[in-house]
Amino acid sequence: MEASAAAVECNENLNDMATVEVRSIRKEFAETCAVDGIDLLAKEGEFLVLLGPSGCGKTTLMRMIAGLEQPTAGDIVIGGKVVTHLPPRARNIAMVFQSYALYPHMTVEGNISFPLRAAGMPRDQIERKVAWAAKMFGIERFLNRKPRQLSGGERQRVALARAVVREPVAFLLDEPLSNLDAKLRNSARDELKHLQRELATTMIYVSHDQAEAMGLGDRIAILNQGKLCQVGTPQEIYRNPVDIFTATFIGSPPMNLLEDKDSYTGFRPEDFLPKEIGADGNTVSFPFRVTRVEYLGADRLVYGAIEGRTAATHVISKMPTMLRTEVKAGQLYDFSVRQEDIARFDRSTGARLYGARQ
Amino acid sequence: MTSEAAALAGKEHSGPGFWSSFADNERWLWPAMLAPAVLYIVLLVGFPFFLSIYYSFTDVTVGGRDLHFVGLQNFNRILESSTFWLALKNTIILTVISQVCILVMASILAQALSVNFRGKWLVRLLILLPWVAPIALGSIGWLWIFDSIYSVINWTGRAIGILGPNDWPIWLGQPNLAMASIIIVQIWRILPLATVIILAGLTSIPQDLHDAAAVDGAGPFRRYFQITAPLIRPITLVAVLFGIIFTFTDLIVVFVLTRGGPYDQTQVLATWAYFTGIQGGDLAGGAAISLFLFPVLVAVAIIFLRFARRTEVL
Amino acid sequence: MSEEKPRKSRNPATGITRRTVVKGAGAAGLAASAGPFFFTRPAQAAKTLRILQWSHFIPGYDKWFNTQYVKEWGAKNGTEVIVDNINLGLIPSRAAAEVSAQKGHDLVMFLAPPSVYEDQVVDMKDVYAECEKRYGKPIDLAVKSTYNPKTKKYFAFSDSFVPDPVNYRTDLWGDIGMTPNSWDDVRAGGKKIKDKTGIPIGIGLSAELDTAMAMRALMYSFGASEQDAEGNLAINSKETLEAIKFMKALFQEAETPEVLAWDPSSNNRQMLAGRSSLVLNAISVTRTGENDKLPIHEKIAVSKALQGPVRRIGLEHVMDCYVIWKFSENIDGAKKFLVDYIDNFKQGFMASEFYNFPCFSQTVPDLKQLISKDAKAVPADKYAVLADVLDWATNVGYPGYSNAAIDETFNTWVINTMFAEAATGSETPENALKRAETKMKAIWTKWKERNMI
Repeated sequence: MEASAAAVECNENLNDMATVEVRSIRKEFAETCAVDGIDLLAKEGEFLVLLGPSGCGKTTLMRMIAGLEQPTAGDIVIGGKVVTHLPPRARNIAMVFQSYALYPHMTVEGNISFPLRAAGMPRDQIERKVAWAAKMFGIERFLNRKPRQLSGGERQRVALARAVVREPVAFLLDEPLSNLDAKLRNSARDELKHLQRELATTMIYVSHDQAEAMGLGDRIAILNQGKLCQVGTPQEIYRNPVDIFTATFIGSPPMNLLEDKDSYTGFRPEDFLPKEIGADGNTVSFPFRVTRVEYLGADRLVYGAIEGRTAATHVISKMPTMLRTEVKAGQLYDFSVRQEDIARFDRSTGARLYGARQ
Repeated sequence: MTSEAAALAGKEHSGPGFWSSFADNERWLWPAMLAPAVLYIVLLVGFPFFLSIYYSFTDVTVGGRDLHFVGLQNFNRILESSTFWLALKNTIILTVISQVCILVMASILAQALSVNFRGKWLVRLLILLPWVAPIALGSIGWLWIFDSIYSVINWTGRAIGILGPNDWPIWLGQPNLAMASIIIVQIWRILPLATVIILAGLTSIPQDLHDAAAVDGAGPFRRYFQITAPLIRPITLVAVLFGIIFTFTDLIVVFVLTRGGPYDQTQVLATWAYFTGIQGGDLAGGAAISLFLFPVLVAVAIIFLRFARRTEVL
Repeated sequence: MSEEKPRKSRNPATGITRRTVVKGAGAAGLAASAGPFFFTRPAQAAKTLRILQWSHFIPGYDKWFNTQYVKEWGAKNGTEVIVDNINLGLIPSRAAAEVSAQKGHDLVMFLAPPSVYEDQVVDMKDVYAECEKRYGKPIDLAVKSTYNPKTKKYFAFSDSFVPDPVNYRTDLWGDIGMTPNSWDDVRAGGKKIKDKTGIPIGIGLSAELDTAMAMRALMYSFGASEQDAEGNLAINSKETLEAIKFMKALFQEAETPEVLAWDPSSNNRQMLAGRSSLVLNAISVTRTGENDKLPIHEKIAVSKALQGPVRRIGLEHVMDCYVIWKFSENIDGAKKFLVDYIDNFKQGFMASEFYNFPCFSQTVPDLKQLISKDAKAVPADKYAVLADVLDWATNVGYPGYSNAAIDETFNTWVINTMFAEAATGSETPENALKRAETKMKAIWTKWKERNMI
């Protein structure tokens, strides 16, 4: 407890090296391997999103960073210090849970001040800090209420205030927006990004929602089946997926994949457009039999199959509505993709193939 | 809402059979489901209770059929009796000490049992066993453990050298030891129930809260006393109230172990009422003594009700 | 307590045969723990006789009574006899329940005079008269235990009683060259033996039957008593005080605190474990030793009640008292059963291995010869000393009759508590006596108010 008290005191210094790193980390449960040898570094002040389908190991990874789970192998380094075997309270990190995990028997004030009291901070200092955090999230009015008297959005703010109040080395956020309704979620996402900028504290954010990940993350780490698939900025991940999993996991609708002999050819729906619109130069065209058209306001989704192949392959085109080109179900059209927008993947490993052009 | 249900039930009357339409009819289902409980309370709790109030103001004996109203005579006689005050004191001491011990031990046990380990089901079963066994049977087992000649405790103590050759505590024969023996058996008897209730409370706390507290920098003690304990306080109260009722009104443990001895030093209200009312034949006196259990039970009931209302708000 | 109280019906069964029957003959141990099971049986026309009595200390008695005697009697009298044996401790509550329900057994056997039920039972005068015609007068002990001189009613019928002699270790007493003949012998010899061998005297000071009997034997032989011959409270006397002081000395010199913790079988266990030099008990101690083949039984002798400063007197250990409820449906059958039982009492005497002594002495005319040649005892004449038991055995309530006040005093262990308080030093003898007198005064006043004494 003394250690963390000291940590709060010299918070500014620690911030200088507020990195969070995992090294070859593994976590095995009875039968399964939840996290299978991941190396990952969250840089100082970075907003890093761990993205993956449920069961990919992202939450386990975060819990290991928090100290709530012991890794089977590997190390966790926070602020340049190996903390693998330290209890959570010695790591000076804050965590926001999906359920918010507010203490139901304490008032909002009690909740926010709990980490400070645990750190043995003097009373007047606690009061100042709580007031500061409450102001930051606009929850001063609720300080004397119990969590059950708050709405979902208000609870989420309390959870954030509780995390922020102790000025930790890093924040860990476990899908903190998933319990909010869609409208609230958008504004909360905005506020969260704003907050992170303001605090300039390292944040590790677990999500299964790619839109959230793309919108929030400075970088995104894609996890699948306990392994790290790709780390990069949202653009890198989107434009240059390193394997089929990332390619199909990111993007909505996902990347189209065409079967070739020993590889897959992939292109994004928005790059697959009628030939006459398709720009100049280096394009590849496909005979596209349209089966169905969906109007989504800003876009049209055109479903169909590419003909002239051994097996008819279903693909989707995403056309901005501003393109007035008429597309009708049942008709055959020529659609094309620019050569540089085409990615190829190894059929057996799923890995991206570079170089060899078709 | 009710009319809706009734309309619904009415509509279905033509279709499904009697029972399923009965089950849909809230107006009748309600009282029908409640009736057994009400009957039980009226016949097995209410009637004997009011009968014993009635008896306590009469001169009824176990052998008498004609009663005369004698006013507060029985109560006056009881209040003048030193044995009554001793029994009352013992009842309270017994209840308080055993409940405090049970509270502490059940909390520790429940905490231990909420952790995952191999063979947990076996340990849980073993801990629950005393609760399942009939009290009389268990008490007779304890009678042997405390026996003046064959005491398992004494022989074990001597074998491992805790007791010297001249130490031979007479568990049921020395007033303090006898009281301690009864408290031990009461703890043994009620601990399983308290443990299971508290365990249920523990498992109802979301793991997230423990995790949050751990990350928030709380050590094990702070986590227990500031998070776990307050969260299970309501259900712990339930366990304690049950324990109070079971200990306060218990007759069997004392009856089997000491019959109130040595020289009335372990007499409790329930045994004293039994000795006076049934063995001694003074049914009215016994009823009057047993009525002194009532205020405490009323207090417990009130706490229960207030508590139930509060949880409803929750 | 409130759960204990059975339902009361103001209308006694009118012509309808009782349908609830207690099952579990010979399963008293089970009954003690689980309580009796109830099940219903269809109403039937044939005569039945239901008997409730304890599980006898000598298992052979129940075997003879339940499987042989009542079967034969039932066949002869066209009656189905149902015997329910329950633990002796459960008899009072069972009886109270039956009275409250006004339903139950036809014959209920108590182990002590059930004076308090007088209003509920039929007068046994004619049963006594019939038996007297055949076997002469019953022993005084039987009359004192079952007759209320105030109402002139026999509220129970006593077929037999169990003597309460002294049981002592011949080897230990032989080693110090003494035999326990008087209370003074017990104190002096007990101390010598305890000092020498560490083996104490085993006279109880606990809330249980054997202590209650032993303390009364002590009091009566010191000339003290709970009441006088007319039934007036007489506990406060210098004789009682002397008895208390004596017991205190005996406890401190020759006993250990274990006697404060006892139940009725503890002294049996202590004696058979070789941990006692002398106890006051029925012959169940040696009988258990003989039947379980514990060699120590050969070293245990039986002797008559101890001589006190005033007289040599002891108690009955158990007084068989049969009652017939007024609400019984087979009163005549029950009476006939009792009379016939006295006719066959010798069988019962033998089956109980001399545990049950006759209240009509002539039913066992050769008692003296029988007990002087016992098949199991070593030596064979061990029990011969019981031949003159009537000269030194008396009833609870001596020199008066047993009554409701005596009964409540007995069952709330007032005398036991008085002696234990003084012996342990938690009260002075004077205070202990005063406290007991206060309690007994309240009891006497109460029962006087209720016109029971």
